[in-house]
Amino acid sequence: MDVNFELMQSAFPLLIAGACITVEITALTVFFGMIIGICVSLIRMSDFKLLRWMGNVYVDFIRGTPLLIQIFLVYFALPSIIGHRVDAYFAAISACSINSGAYMAEVFRGGIQSIDIGQMEAGRSLGMTWWQTMRYIILPQAFKRIIPPLGNEFIAMLKDSSLVSVIGFEELTRRGQLIIARTYASFEIWMAVAIIYLILTFTVARLTGLLERKFETK
Amino acid sequence: MTTRQDIIKITGLQKSFGDLHVLKGIDLCIKEKEVVVIIGPSGSGKSTLLRCINYLEEPTGGEIVFDNIPLNGEANINEVRKEVGMVFQRFNLFPHMTVLENLVLAPMKVRKVSRKDAEELARMYLQKVGLAEKADNYPDQLSGGQQQRVAIARALCMKPKAMLFDEPTSALDPEMINEVLEVMKQLAKEGMTMVVVTHEMGFAKEVGDRVLFVDGGYIVEEGTPEQVFDHPQNPRTQSFLSKIL
Repeated sequence: MDVNFELMQSAFPLLIAGACITVEITALTVFFGMIIGICVSLIRMSDFKLLRWMGNVYVDFIRGTPLLIQIFLVYFALPSIIGHRVDAYFAAISACSINSGAYMAEVFRGGIQSIDIGQMEAGRSLGMTWWQTMRYIILPQAFKRIIPPLGNEFIAMLKDSSLVSVIGFEELTRRGQLIIARTYASFEIWMAVAIIYLILTFTVARLTGLLERKFETK
Repeated sequence: MTTRQDIIKITGLQKSFGDLHVLKGIDLCIKEKEVVVIIGPSGSGKSTLLRCINYLEEPTGGEIVFDNIPLNGEANINEVRKEVGMVFQRFNLFPHMTVLENLVLAPMKVRKVSRKDAEELARMYLQKVGLAEKADNYPDQLSGGQQQRVAIARALCMKPKAMLFDEPTSALDPEMINEVLEVMKQLAKEGMTMVVVTHEMGFAKEVGDRVLFVDGGYIVEEGTPEQVFDHPQNPRTQSFLSKIL
């Protein structure tokens, strides 16, 4: 078969613009996901039974259902409850953040629980509150250990964000679909899309590695 | 001695871990500037007793009063912990901070001391434990004995009214034990109220005002070091001492 490189080339600027949006929603998702993740992991380790139970239900529900369905729930099901349309951008970011938060909660819990109990005891015995000890002693040490799984989470989100194309959100995958609808060049465009994803994930993997080494030396 | 005030008053202290009844009723008064050494076989509850004093273990019964404040859990525990320094067997220094940062953190966050004052205080105490030149090192760059001396300095930076030591030399190589004991002796000499769980009988004899022998969840015997070490009355004390001396 003939590969139309010219077409690939001409599609590139459009795809790159889509890739920027993919990076944007991934970055926002990881940011909000981390905040949700820290809160939920702390909640799940707290003494309040009800809070702990709610945290568990959240994590179980999110991890036990497909992200695609969660996106549908926010974009299609939520409007019928609240009575007006949900913006695709808002739906994409919130569904992905809520999803990522559940996985991050597990990552943070693992990191926090890997820190020796003596650190918490030392902090508390100096008169610091539970939260002060968490903030100044436990979390900084835990963070160092969870850089690799956080990197994995970032990479997974880069790829999974392609799912928001189904609600018409024009990120990288959706851009590819639209170009193919016009040009019928499915091989060229999907290859180009795949290569761009690969470059993005590879870059994140390398950055994670650098970050890891930077903290290692300290 | 009689004019001194009781700083720690423990009555009927009980502690269970599930079905395991570790402390079965401890009554103990510790006076200001007193050095109390707790000895006993492992599993006797001596560390648990110490850890109950600052609520690292929550008692299941009885009452603890520190400096006229009755302890009642989260409500006022930080008020008491500010005043009670604790030194752990495994040092528990914060590995992601320099020695100096380890020392200034709690004074700044809990006592709201300015960084300048906290650092001044920290350097003073580092000097005291003989580690002034290690201020900018990280804990894992220090030997075990040095780490434990930093841990003592860290506790002192809160200007505690009493210090608890939970087997402070048990995790150390033999050649490092003395440097830590020397610091503790110095503290005792300066009038610090100290409660020390230890296997260092030499230290107990030299520094202790009172020795408690704990076994099976009770204080089995107590008295001056001479009484307990040289003329133990209880057969369990006699048997324990005959094994270790």
